[in-house]
Amino acid sequence: MTTFNRLALATVLMGATALPALSQEIQYIMCGDERQAERDSVAAFEAANPGIKVNLEFLPWGTCSEKAMQMAAAGDPPGLAYIGSRFLKQLSKADQILPIELTPEQEAAYQPGILSTVEDGGKRWGFPHAFSNKAMFVNCDLFEQAGLECKVPADWTEMKAAATAIKEKTGIAGIGIAGKDFDNTMHMFLDFMYSNGGTVVDTVTGEIKFDDVPARETLQLYADLVPVMAEGATALERGNLQALFEDGKIGMYVTGPWGMGQHAAKNFKVGPIPRGPSGTSGSILITDSIAVFKGSGVEAEAMKLAAHLTSGASQYALDSEWGLPPIQKYEEQGITDVYYAKPEWKLFLDTTPTGRPEPMVYNFASLQAVFTNMIQGVILGEITDINAAVTEAAEGIKAIQ
Amino acid sequence: MTLAAQGTAAPERMRRKALSDRAFAWALIAPAILFIAVIVAWPLIETIRLSFTNASLAGEEYVGLANYQKLFSGGKFGEIIVRTFVWMFFSVSLKLILGLIGASLLMAVVPGQALFRILIMPPWVIPIAMGCLGWLWLFNGDFGIISGVAQAIGITDGPFAFLAYRNSAFWSAIVTDAWVGTPMVTLFFLAAMQGVSRDLYEAAWVDGAGRWYRFRRITIPQIMPVIVSMALMSAIWTFNSFEIIWILTQGGPRGGTTTMIIDTYKVAIANLQFGEGAARAVIIVIMLALFSLLYLWVLGRVNRKYGVK
Amino acid sequence: MDRYTLWQKIGIYAGIGIFLAFILLPFFEMFMTSLKPLNHIFRSPYQFWSDDFSFDAYTRMWERVPNLGRYIWNSIFIATAVTLIAMIVIVPAAYAYARLEFPFKTQSLGLFLSVNMFAGAVLLIPLYKLMRTLGLLNTYWAMIIPGVAFLIPTGIWLLRGYLEKIPKEMEEAAYMDGASRLYTLRRVILPLAGPGLVVVATTVFITAYAQQYLFAITFNSDGDLYPLPVGLLQFIGYQNVEWNMMMAAALTGITPVLVVFLFLQRYLVAGLTAGAVKE
Repeated sequence: MTTFNRLALATVLMGATALPALSQEIQYIMCGDERQAERDSVAAFEAANPGIKVNLEFLPWGTCSEKAMQMAAAGDPPGLAYIGSRFLKQLSKADQILPIELTPEQEAAYQPGILSTVEDGGKRWGFPHAFSNKAMFVNCDLFEQAGLECKVPADWTEMKAAATAIKEKTGIAGIGIAGKDFDNTMHMFLDFMYSNGGTVVDTVTGEIKFDDVPARETLQLYADLVPVMAEGATALERGNLQALFEDGKIGMYVTGPWGMGQHAAKNFKVGPIPRGPSGTSGSILITDSIAVFKGSGVEAEAMKLAAHLTSGASQYALDSEWGLPPIQKYEEQGITDVYYAKPEWKLFLDTTPTGRPEPMVYNFASLQAVFTNMIQGVILGEITDINAAVTEAAEGIKAIQ
Repeated sequence: MTLAAQGTAAPERMRRKALSDRAFAWALIAPAILFIAVIVAWPLIETIRLSFTNASLAGEEYVGLANYQKLFSGGKFGEIIVRTFVWMFFSVSLKLILGLIGASLLMAVVPGQALFRILIMPPWVIPIAMGCLGWLWLFNGDFGIISGVAQAIGITDGPFAFLAYRNSAFWSAIVTDAWVGTPMVTLFFLAAMQGVSRDLYEAAWVDGAGRWYRFRRITIPQIMPVIVSMALMSAIWTFNSFEIIWILTQGGPRGGTTTMIIDTYKVAIANLQFGEGAARAVIIVIMLALFSLLYLWVLGRVNRKYGVK
Repeated sequence: MDRYTLWQKIGIYAGIGIFLAFILLPFFEMFMTSLKPLNHIFRSPYQFWSDDFSFDAYTRMWERVPNLGRYIWNSIFIATAVTLIAMIVIVPAAYAYARLEFPFKTQSLGLFLSVNMFAGAVLLIPLYKLMRTLGLLNTYWAMIIPGVAFLIPTGIWLLRGYLEKIPKEMEEAAYMDGASRLYTLRRVILPLAGPGLVVVATTVFITAYAQQYLFAITFNSDGDLYPLPVGLLQFIGYQNVEWNMMMAAALTGITPVLVVFLFLQRYLVAGLTAGAVKE
């Protein structure tokens, strides 16, 4: 069967190379709905590069990146694909994707901190294409019912006090914490840990820095919040928290800029994530990238297309349509009247430079499992020795590296 | 002379008939075998081969039995195997019990019977993922009906999130799996019950046997082959049931709902460790094969006992 | 036979009520969700009716996902094709297992059954390679063929039981009259097995209709060919999931199948009666 495969494949390949290179086809896997802006941008690229045809496929969320990775695993990679930047290391270590080169102008166009999310081993592995950071949303009605002034707590002490006051005075949970087996359980933990000066993996040396004071303090924070957090935190992910906040069932929670639109009807305030005792307010900075696959036969063209899609008006259209913080400095590219000129965007723009990427590890799913296990252990009361739990998690992370 | 000729001709004819039977049988099965061989057998063999490699996104190398050794060296895998069988046992039992109750009720000749029979079908027809979303919301602590009703009538003080705790999440997944499988089981039981000869019931009725006695002594033994057959099919499907747990809990909290298939999926698809995943898949098949053999052996005895061929 | 007393009747209706409540509870939840406005999908305490409930989602879903009708059609088409092809393969094989004696009969049946033991998810990547080699990626065939392969064993197992119950004498008579094996199968067995065929075909169809997800997302990326379970994912946006429309679409999508079942119901139960599953 293998021989048959190879023969069949060889025939196809020979057939392909024997033909004069009249037209080259690039397969591009994009996530989400059909977007006319993307089609237009691709059409412009095809017009500028005669002889190249782009086969643009929009795949539904939750299937798109998985599909691209499975195609690569089966030896049939797409030309380029939209993928969570967290998977770049796994793909690059597996020799499935190509490092990218940015011109000084392209490099300068990105907001500070963005490119750090695609860096590993001194190279960049994808064109950042969408990005988000986080902030703390508070429900003013509940704060006032609890006799508090409505403002976003500045530090953990204030946050715990506010959450406790809300729980005691109103009987409603003071804060919503995500604890389900989902990516956003780890993300939220890192939001707090980054606001406490913590690090998972040193980006330069690759050393595991997790087993330290900031992580222990963050886990202790979770333990302290258990009595005042929304019931059943181990079954909650961001969609549930959004619903709870909208329904007035939690006093505060951490989410992205989309929260402003989702909670437009509510009396809320939004501010930086409260800082911990050992650090200053920060946020996780999550990006999705366009990765260029190795072995598609059209690597150079795919690289050009990726650069085209992540530049100028094309990138701007995506950011504004999805309501994300701007990934590039669009004013410097001559785009005026930007969507994020409105005052409420200021917080998220200011947070961008303080943002830090998801840890770059070989196997992200395993990393997530380690964090989820630790966090759920604390929430369910199965972990009592915080220090030992952090040490154990650090060992787990080491095993993944 | 004629007698002698007949004497030799008969076995000859039988032999030729048997031979043509054989050839004919294989000709009839050939398309099915061909289909399975092309579509399933090759990926299967490939999976077995991969289980002896460290295949991942990065390529593959032969590693011998390393994947299997790694599996059984940690204590966790044993725990997952036990959990999987517990899950299978309770889920299948629940399906059979509900199926029997449902079928008995739908046997009752009352107005509306035809409508009721259709109303049990939807869980079978709806894409599993969508049905599971319905349950996901039902099990929600703050917004779900179950928790809401429990609070309203005072069973619980506050909201209870069914999927947040190991035990409740495990049982919630069992209920959901049983829900998905119940319509088919009910329908097949219903049909089997209708196939039971009325003479048997009438004879028992004349003898003054009550409904419960007739159910226990006539219905159950008569449909036993179907019960046993459905149990085996359900057991295999439940063992490999993936979407339900994945949508409800993704195997959490803290691994409380991680069955073998969830574990396999996490390793093979989410972590892209195809070699280690393949080893898990092979073990699932071995376990199910052993289980089925044991089961079929029991089945043979049951059938003999009830006088079924 | 004895008639039901009033109390027994009440008991039966109560029992059916509880049973159906369990079966239909998630559908009630899905239906309620489809009526709610997106920003108030989740509200507590639970509301059974509110002024902002409406059937809007049932009209707007066609605009939000313009291909929705096509997805439902694709699902029906794929399930029908799976059923037709599967039955063509299943019927002769089931007949052989029910009637004929041949070497390795039990063993080969066991092997068929073991196909059920391999979950499709694990075989995905090898299957992907196979589909690519056969040149079937991004075609209906990529969803139909694996669907058929995984349903053949179940189908043989179920149909065999019905065929076994058909009296041997009918067949022997035809055979004695000089009819060929194939003729007997076609003209004697199949007509008698009609109800059994309906049951097995329905089982295959429903299973193929409801479980199209995995093969469809892996072997196809042509948006025009999505079956409904994949098409429903289009209601997931970057930040919001349009649960109300997704549920409206899911409920709408199963209606055609339920309607078909409505007509088949009588026949189906009769069919099950004739054969039932054995062993």
